[in-house]
Amino acid sequence: MSFDIDIVFRYGPLLLSGLWTTVYVCALASLLAVAAGLAAALLYGLPFRAVKLLCRAYIEIMRGTPILILLFILYYGGPSAGLTLEAETVGIVGLGFYGGGYFAEIFRAGFQSIPPGQIEAARMLGIPRPAIVARIQIPQMLTLIIPPSTNQVIILTKESALLSIITVAELTKNTTQMVNETFAVVEPYVAVALLYWLIIEGIALAGGALERRFSRAS
Amino acid sequence: MSEEAESGTMEGKPVVLVEGLHKRFGATHVLKGIDLAVEKSQVVCVIGPSGSGKSTLLRCMAFLDRYDEGRVFIENRLLGYRETDGELTRDSERNIDSVRSVIGMVFQHYNLWPHMTALGNVTEALRVVRKLGRREAEHIGMEMLGKVGLNDKAHDHPARLSGGQQQRTAIARALAIRPHVMFFDEPTSALDPELVGEVLQVMQELASEGMTMVVVTHEMGFAAHVADEVVFMDDGEVVERGSPDDIFKRPRSDRLREFLDTWRSRAI
Ligand SMILES: Nc1ncnc2c1ncn2[C@@H]1O[C@H](COP(=O)(O)OP(=O)(O)O)[C@@H](O)[C@H]1O
Ligand SMILES: [Mg+2]
Repeated sequence: MSFDIDIVFRYGPLLLSGLWTTVYVCALASLLAVAAGLAAALLYGLPFRAVKLLCRAYIEIMRGTPILILLFILYYGGPSAGLTLEAETVGIVGLGFYGGGYFAEIFRAGFQSIPPGQIEAARMLGIPRPAIVARIQIPQMLTLIIPPSTNQVIILTKESALLSIITVAELTKNTTQMVNETFAVVEPYVAVALLYWLIIEGIALAGGALERRFSRAS
Repeated sequence: MSEEAESGTMEGKPVVLVEGLHKRFGATHVLKGIDLAVEKSQVVCVIGPSGSGKSTLLRCMAFLDRYDEGRVFIENRLLGYRETDGELTRDSERNIDSVRSVIGMVFQHYNLWPHMTALGNVTEALRVVRKLGRREAEHIGMEMLGKVGLNDKAHDHPARLSGGQQQRTAIARALAIRPHVMFFDEPTSALDPELVGEVLQVMQELASEGMTMVVVTHEMGFAAHVADEVVFMDDGEVVERGSPDDIFKRPRSDRLREFLDTWRSRAI
């Protein structure tokens, strides 16, 4: 069996366009996941039972449901609830809130690692809550949360292959198109595996660099 | 006590006024009606056996713990609650911050922020709360560190400081916002014996400069020499209060006598 490199070059533009879509969809979804996770973790720390329960429910639903089902509900169920979103938007929102459930737990563990006395000292000095979070809590938990966060972004990126099922023209979807048009199998899938590996390696390197930077700082 | 509160505009009003304070943790009744008045430049030392409610009292006086009944006034402003027709409702975070902005608090375990230098700890509130520029904040910060004898440690992180140095940094941090009253919760209890003196000395200097202070302590020598009033607590109540001489030389209650005996036998 031979590897026809020419097909890969012929379909280069399609693959690169898919790569770009995967990268920005995953980047936006990761940002959303971090924001949603941070918000859930912060709300969870408030002394209101209803809020706590709501956060718990969010985390449990996100962690207890396959991502594909969440995407189907949003994409196919959305319109019946008056919510018609483009496939790409569904992908970003779905992956984002899904990842948020995991980031919430990462941040919660991070916040728990800070002795409460440090927060009380800050409150006694009149330091406002947002500044306590941004300047006292988060800087101290970075070394703790960066490794699992990197991991979470990697998982999210790999899960993004599922967006092909709801017609997002990302890397996997475009690869499938290439398979359908050329009847070649090995070349497209080897090429796409390499491209995914590149993205993931990039994320891992970035995470490692951040980790080194902040472990030196503390 | 309540007459004083009502005529609060008169001279010599207490900086801290506690009236009929009750605190429960679930079924545990921890504070059972505490009254306390701290006048300007007064040093009040609170002593008592472990578990008697001293920390809880101080924390309620700073509203780090919410109290269930009674009132805490800081410079005549009710702390933690708003009162309408005798009903207390929880005050907004902003008002609470505003009322307690005149309190400086020093904790048993220092509670420094380990990712910042000593100077960073001291200047944080100046920068974030008072919004001073770096230069100005650091100028004040160095002045405060100088006050506690730590000029040369300004750029060290807490992990590189001894316990005594950490606690002095914590005192400098509290002083930076120019509090009108300082609360100390067993500031030397976590320290190795040889480091206690340097912290007590800083506190004594503060007292002699006229700082109003409430000090929960097991350092009877400090209480005897520095306090204007000593308050003896046991089981959530103030059992006895008076001058250091009254408390240490002429205890009236069995409970205080017993406490002092235990303390003396332990100190020998
Ligand atoms: N957060 C809390 N939850 C439940 N019980 C508490 C809490 N804080 C203190 N207590 C109880 O209140 C009592 C008084 O504690 P504390 O004020 O720390 O005493 P002290 O400072 O005099 O040693 C103790 O019985 C303690 O177990
Ligand atoms: Mg205590």
